[in-house]
Amino acid sequence: MTWRIGLQLALSGLSVGSIYAIIALALAIPYKASRVLNFAQGELVTLGAYIGLVLTSYGLPYAAMVPATLLIAAVFGLLIERLFIRPIIGAPEFTLVIATFAIGLIIRALIRIHWQDNNFFLPAPYAGPALAIGPLRVNPSYLVMIGTTAALVCLLALFFQRTKLGKAMRAAAVNQTGARLIGIRVGTVFGSAWALAAALGALAGLLLAPVVGINPELGHLVVKALVAAVIGGFGSLGGAVFGGLMLGILETYAGALFGAALKEIIPFALLIAFLLVRPQGLWGTALVRV
Amino acid sequence: MRFHAALIAIPALLLLALPLLAGSYQIYLVELILINVVAAIGLNLLTGNCGQISLCHASLIAIGAYGTALLTTGWGVTYIVALPAGVLLTTLLGASLSYPARRLSGLYLALVTLGFLEVVSIAIEEFPNFTGGVRGLKLPPPELAGWPLKAAGLYYFVLGVTALAICAGWNIRRSRYGRAFNAVRQSVIVAQSLAISPGRTKLIAFCFAAAFAGLAGGLFTAVVGFIDPTEFDISASLRQITFIVVGGLGSVLGSIVGASILTLLPEALRGANEYSDVAYGAILLATLVLAPKGLVGLAGSLLSRVNGKGPVP
Amino acid sequence: MSLLGLDGVFVSFGGVAAVRGVSMQVEEGEIRGLIGPNGAGKTSLINSITGIVRPDGGVIAFADQKITALAPNIIAARGIGRTFQHVELFREATVLDNVLAGLYRHHVYGIAAAIAGWGRARRVEREARGEAHSLLEAFDLAPLALVPVGDLPFGIQKRIDLARALAVQPRLLLLDEPISGMSETEADAAVGMLRDLAERRRITLLVVEHNMRVMMRLASRITVMHQGEILAEGAPADIRNNRAVVEAYLGEDDEHA
Repeated sequence: MTWRIGLQLALSGLSVGSIYAIIALALAIPYKASRVLNFAQGELVTLGAYIGLVLTSYGLPYAAMVPATLLIAAVFGLLIERLFIRPIIGAPEFTLVIATFAIGLIIRALIRIHWQDNNFFLPAPYAGPALAIGPLRVNPSYLVMIGTTAALVCLLALFFQRTKLGKAMRAAAVNQTGARLIGIRVGTVFGSAWALAAALGALAGLLLAPVVGINPELGHLVVKALVAAVIGGFGSLGGAVFGGLMLGILETYAGALFGAALKEIIPFALLIAFLLVRPQGLWGTALVRV
Repeated sequence: MRFHAALIAIPALLLLALPLLAGSYQIYLVELILINVVAAIGLNLLTGNCGQISLCHASLIAIGAYGTALLTTGWGVTYIVALPAGVLLTTLLGASLSYPARRLSGLYLALVTLGFLEVVSIAIEEFPNFTGGVRGLKLPPPELAGWPLKAAGLYYFVLGVTALAICAGWNIRRSRYGRAFNAVRQSVIVAQSLAISPGRTKLIAFCFAAAFAGLAGGLFTAVVGFIDPTEFDISASLRQITFIVVGGLGSVLGSIVGASILTLLPEALRGANEYSDVAYGAILLATLVLAPKGLVGLAGSLLSRVNGKGPVP
Repeated sequence: MSLLGLDGVFVSFGGVAAVRGVSMQVEEGEIRGLIGPNGAGKTSLINSITGIVRPDGGVIAFADQKITALAPNIIAARGIGRTFQHVELFREATVLDNVLAGLYRHHVYGIAAAIAGWGRARRVEREARGEAHSLLEAFDLAPLALVPVGDLPFGIQKRIDLARALAVQPRLLLLDEPISGMSETEADAAVGMLRDLAERRRITLLVVEHNMRVMMRLASRITVMHQGEILAEGAPADIRNNRAVVEAYLGEDDEHA
């Protein structure tokens, strides 16, 4: 493998890894806040893409469509949290897991009812033929994915370190009762976490759309994001990003070196390995022995 | 006691007389219900009684189906032998799932089973020579000692196997193993103090779930005659979970009730998959939030309120 | 030869040493009390004996066999039972079902028999139910057999916990605060019952209890722990007059000494 191909693959791996990272973040944030893992996150990615599709079909220019989509998605996230998650917040884990799956099932089915299984195309102003950067041929969409993720990570870091809401979310994640005692409105924190997660999901959907198109199965890659979150450790945002990027790169190299079949297996081999050896991931907090 | 006897006798008589009362399509529907009942009983032992989340029950059913199918078509094994062989194969694979389950619970177990589901889907696609790949696998009708099993003959066979499965499920739940399941679900520490090994108990529970799933899969090949791998995805697993949640977790009757009522849902909606998916999702969500004990639980509370006693266990 | 022997047991959590080099012997047939102020390390010690917690050092032996760091269910199978401070019953199950759960160890049949439901399984189940009923009788719980335990008063739940622990037929029974939450009359009755139990069923008892008055009446020998170590050990009368023990408890709300 020449270094040129190696670099090409790295870029490709980083770009798909970026998407995993964004979705893994969307999984980790509500988990940290409310201890609920949202198995419907994939459907929120799909939903975001379709919202973008609808807004574009109403003639909204791209620069306006993106923030509008994120906002609408955030509202959806908030609604889901208020209506379905809030009533069951103390329930046993089984209930939480299955309830989020059920929500995802409903969202996906409603999408299929309205749009069937067609694959739609969402044009993006940056999408186009591969650019020549030095010896490499780079798909501009990849650059946008990587760049957006990098910017996102910085923004989120600022949000959690500097803003009042961000700090409140961190406090509530560490100790809910304590947070309540110092006046943090935990309900607001929960709602914000889910709104943020939905917006992140929508962002991932919009980034994916120009590359793979829009169809109801778009959210299926939440499974990969779950693997990334396990690798990084639930409850570690940095871990989620690292896990996503690492998974993207490993997958891409495995595919190039060993073929498509192995590429598919790699995420699950990693999942099983981590869950058996180090379920708390690289940066998560240690679990109590069952 | 009379009431209970009537409660069992009436449906039993109806089921026995079905080929005389109904057409071949209705018989087919009832066969599908019976298959789902078998699968649901197994899942309920694992999830309802032993408290282990499994998102891959549909994959286990698929393994049972493919296993039985390959033995009959590829290796010429007669159905009556291929069926238990398929069950055995599925049980072994289900046992391997219990290994990660020993140390993990709740969320992490859910993820492992999700991973298993995905791996099985990939395997089905990657070995089209065995599995027919995404196109599916078409099967000839099964034979029982040279006689083709179809129509009424097939129906009574499925009915008989289901009846045996129901008895087995009931016996297991009432046995010391059922008690061990419930103990491990409620408190691992207490279970250990009673000399119950949580690891071994989970292994047994997973094996049962897999065995029942494998049996359901084997019956599926005979009844449907075609295996479509897309029918065994996460939605299918969720459907199985809906049966036992709505029917009642931890109860054999709950498995029967849930599977019976909800199998007919897609038929009642007379439409494509999407509508029944919405219905399943909504019913599942509503039950989890509003009536977590399921229909059997609701009936129980109702009965005890009528009788003036405390809640019935 | 003692039934339970601890030798230099150390248990620590995240840098804090809860048990620091405890050595003690419990003879068969004793009723041994284990007392000490809050934070003395009693619960950690009990947990290390039952295997819930792995000691960082030292050896625990039961009936001449090492049980240090074995799995809790294996230790239970060897003959160590326990009751729980907060009872920990199976709340939605009936009293009978709770006690039946304890019979898992000694009423055994295979999976095949269980599936078939007849033959050996049926016979053993009948024996088990018979045993369960006699345990319920012994604890005055028979009329409540089919009642779900969640509705029952705390004192009765404690009896059920005890009946369930006995179903395992332990040689050594660890009781974690068996009297806490009981009224004086209930406590007195419980003391009588526990002594009776130890004698008639020949079970060695190791009782962790806060209530000094009860401990004086119940125990044949008392071990006092303080800050992870053994402070004193001896007959109840000696312990009561031991200055060091009294001082250790002086910082405590000490209405029963």
